[in-house]
Amino acid sequence: MPTISILKSDLESLVAMPGEPGAVSLDQLDEWLALVKGEVKGYQADTGELRIELQDSNRPDLWCCEGIARQIRIKREGAFKPYSFLTARPRRPKRLLVAPELESIRPYVAACAARGYRVTEQGLAQLIQTQEKLADIFGRKRKTVSIGLYRLEPIQFPITYEAVNPEDVRFTPLGMETAMTLSEMLAVHPKGVEYGTILAGQRRVPLLRDSALQPLSFPPIINSREIGEVRVGDDQLLIEVTGTDITMVVLALNIFAVNLADRGATIEPVAVHYPYDTPLGKRVVTPCTLGQPRSIPLETIERALGQRLGVHTVKQALESYGYQVSAKRKVVVVQLPPYRHDFMHAMDVVEDVAMSLGYGTFQPEMPSQFTVGGLSPLEQVSDRARDLMVGLGFQEIISNILGSPEAYRNAMRLEGTPWGRMVEVANVMSATFSCLRQWMVPSLLRVEAASARSFYPHRLFEAGEVVIPDPTHALGSRTESVLGALIAHASAHFSELHSCLDSLLYHMGITYALEPTSHPSFLDGRVGKIVVSGTTRELGLIGELHPEVLERWQIAVPVAAFEINLSRLVELERL
Amino acid sequence: MEPTSSSDNLHPLEIKVLEAFRTEGAESSLSIAQLAEATGLESAQLSMAIEWLVAKQLLVTVSETVTPLVSLTPIGKAYAEQGSPLERILSAVREASATGRRLTIADLQVREELDPSEVSRAVGRLKKEGALLVIQGGCLESTGRPSPSAEAMRSLLRELYEATRPLDSFPEDHRPLIREYAVKRGSSREPFRIEEHVTRSYALSPGGAAAVTSLANQGYREEVAQLSPDLLKDGAWRTKRFRKYTISLRPPRIAIGRKHPYREFLDVVKFKLVGMGFQEMRGSLVETEFWNMDALFMPQFHPARDIHDVYFVKDPTHASSIAEPFLSRVAQTHERGGQTGSTGWGYRFDGERARRLVLRSQGTAVSARTLAATPSVPGKYFSIARCFRYDQVDATHATDFFQIEGIVLGDDINFRTLLGLLNLFAREVAQAKEVKFMPAYFPFTEPSVELHVRHPRLGWMELGGAGLFRPEVTLPLGVAVPVIAWGLGLDRMAMVALGIHDIRELFTDNLELIRSTRGLF
Repeated sequence: MPTISILKSDLESLVAMPGEPGAVSLDQLDEWLALVKGEVKGYQADTGELRIELQDSNRPDLWCCEGIARQIRIKREGAFKPYSFLTARPRRPKRLLVAPELESIRPYVAACAARGYRVTEQGLAQLIQTQEKLADIFGRKRKTVSIGLYRLEPIQFPITYEAVNPEDVRFTPLGMETAMTLSEMLAVHPKGVEYGTILAGQRRVPLLRDSALQPLSFPPIINSREIGEVRVGDDQLLIEVTGTDITMVVLALNIFAVNLADRGATIEPVAVHYPYDTPLGKRVVTPCTLGQPRSIPLETIERALGQRLGVHTVKQALESYGYQVSAKRKVVVVQLPPYRHDFMHAMDVVEDVAMSLGYGTFQPEMPSQFTVGGLSPLEQVSDRARDLMVGLGFQEIISNILGSPEAYRNAMRLEGTPWGRMVEVANVMSATFSCLRQWMVPSLLRVEAASARSFYPHRLFEAGEVVIPDPTHALGSRTESVLGALIAHASAHFSELHSCLDSLLYHMGITYALEPTSHPSFLDGRVGKIVVSGTTRELGLIGELHPEVLERWQIAVPVAAFEINLSRLVELERL
Repeated sequence: MEPTSSSDNLHPLEIKVLEAFRTEGAESSLSIAQLAEATGLESAQLSMAIEWLVAKQLLVTVSETVTPLVSLTPIGKAYAEQGSPLERILSAVREASATGRRLTIADLQVREELDPSEVSRAVGRLKKEGALLVIQGGCLESTGRPSPSAEAMRSLLRELYEATRPLDSFPEDHRPLIREYAVKRGSSREPFRIEEHVTRSYALSPGGAAAVTSLANQGYREEVAQLSPDLLKDGAWRTKRFRKYTISLRPPRIAIGRKHPYREFLDVVKFKLVGMGFQEMRGSLVETEFWNMDALFMPQFHPARDIHDVYFVKDPTHASSIAEPFLSRVAQTHERGGQTGSTGWGYRFDGERARRLVLRSQGTAVSARTLAATPSVPGKYFSIARCFRYDQVDATHATDFFQIEGIVLGDDINFRTLLGLLNLFAREVAQAKEVKFMPAYFPFTEPSVELHVRHPRLGWMELGGAGLFRPEVTLPLGVAVPVIAWGLGLDRMAMVALGIHDIRELFTDNLELIRSTRGLF
């Protein structure tokens, strides 16, 4: 989730009540940040720069200095003061006209003007940071939402949002010196290269132009350099958001509008005229409130929190968290502020009540109902096997399960054999971690190969999970637990390890027989299948490792190993 | 030195030496040879015992005589076996003269495989003694006269082949020959070696005399190093003394059978959870996106579901099916909220995406499966689940790791009992008395809490995260009671307890490290 960089002094001045000294301590700040699920990740005392991580991916309004300050300020003032630009609507707002073709390209747009806030250096840095975080994370790398900022003065209203042939229109984009066509921008401009795929397959592309036919921008790629470059000192701005989800588009614009209003700007709404239907109608004046008031029974909140609060406390808690609330006897009717749209379920409101009151005000209470604890049968068998192996003088190993085909297959002489099949990952980051082990012996050899300098004898075991490909299983594989064991020293051989296996299985209550078999990882004539006596049920393998395997692992002493399937042991017990 | 204690600490070899003095008379002074005879010890053992007794000031050196000893070098031994060059050349020349063959110095070198220097030295000597002649053309001819030095050499080699002898024991006239043919600086290839042998005589010090007396008073009992079955069987141990050991020495190292130190840590946690009434659950390492994410109400466009966060399975790419009614219910909940009272995410759910196979990225997938499998109510469950993340591996990120997670179901579950449970974890798992509850965000819980505790050794740390499962998670899976979802982040505690700083060392391949790491929790 986003980490943003802000100036402590900027936050302080946005939080401060009139006539109050601004500076706050870092401790105070930590306490306040609990209201926004924020955490200070770094503070540079000399520059006053704070790095704050915001956890809540459903609250994009908090990913900026203004939003954090607003949530804190409302808490301190006790209620949210409605913004006048949302209540007093202009009689004849500026207009933005949408062309019919956009419906199938990038259908939605929202815009507003902001006057009277002179952009400071820090203000500009914050505007750009908010634009980037919203478009990148909330807007899924501009796919669903992208944002443009412009100087207002040169723009002649109404603005048109239309679709054009990318060869027909040219302007000088931000970051370039010369005019070029939209096609050229897609081909050579860094932003065109980065975000061009959003428009892949479109013959015609979106363009914002004013009534004097000056291009504003080529959404969602790049602004015009003439109009679309906001500088320090500008005090009249236009903000525009385009995208594929009208709620998200309007929400992003709302966030910008309240941010600028909080810095002293007067917001002038813009009426967007669509030639097609939208969930908000054909004429949408933006910014605007989103969502309807919803009723929540007081009991829902009190039961979830485990505490009687009363309707008055709940109302107060929600108001001082930014909600508009009207309370009846047993019900609260709540409306989120215009910069939020994260109310999916009543439980979302429950959490806001708890955060507003402070988690510290709730008295913890032990769950009182009786339950019986216990381990799974597989874990019990694994623990028993571990205890016995320890008694036999073996050292337990724990290994990564994700490894390489080289270790699990090739170095074991299993290429092209059924034993070499395993689950591999499609998006490989490094070949070292690209498949799941299908047996345990390679995990033990990994340790043996790295430990020639640790004194001998080596007796190692690991009890853990492996993944065995199985086309008959719904998931295409089975996760099973196995026990692998290995002995390595100058005179290690089959019969020494066989004694260990024999004792182990005796105490696990299994009568078994060894049947000669053949396996590429082991020496022929010195490898056997472990079979439950009187049945054909195979439990595993025991043998001396093939010298070529030892060579591939660069192991210089003989090694004997066995492996038994603990999941199958559990099945046997159930029979 | 206090006599009793000194005789107590005597080694059997030392006692043998002291016994010899007792037998020969406490006043006598004995040479090494005499002591060897009296004790019957081998020279190495004897000199060791004498060295110890001198160091303990029980014996003193009374005289020191230096004797030159003559012995054969490996070359000398070869001469003794094959004949010396003097002898071999003389007999070769005699044989040639008898048969009338021509024999040159060069012929001798080839025939006898001798060094040119050895041949010319021997020929020079034999010529000087008049035993042979060098005639025209460099041919050698026997004079028939004997060579005294060849004779002497033969007897010396024979005598020394038997044993080393003092130089003085040889006749006066042989000694120059020995000296001439002895190893010296600059001539190492010689048959004889003369070494200065120092012979010392020893006598008891007053302390030694006291020790002998004390040994005599105790009555001599043979000392043994090891109690044996034979000694026990015939009761002979009664007449033995058991040598006292030097117990301050470090013992040899052995490798013991042992659980992995990280396992010991996980076992402690596991049994604490069982003690708190939690039942273990297990799951599959390969999961569908459905159980790994969809069932947890993570929208399919959620950034953490990206190809950069999760490992996808190469083959097969998709599960054959997802169990109903869970698939339809979860799909409806994502789209419009279904029967959960939620608005849903408002997007079109992709059933194909739900079947996509991934490596389990969170232990919560196991909890989701448990919720769908008619769990007990009330019920507590936990899993220690291996999970996989698509991350660059470094000191703080492992490619696969254990997550300790679980759920608690019950009518009495609410925000306060959630805090109560976290309090219990803080006390039981981290021995912490002070806790802080911070608001947190997880896609599948609301409200969500982060648990911070003051660990007795580590100070304030984040111990885990928890929350009440969203109804959008529980209701589609058929669970009508509130459910706590919790997770504990214990890797840092484990790493501190195991004394490691790199998360990769939890799964190290370094056997020495595993063998030597103590698990102290």
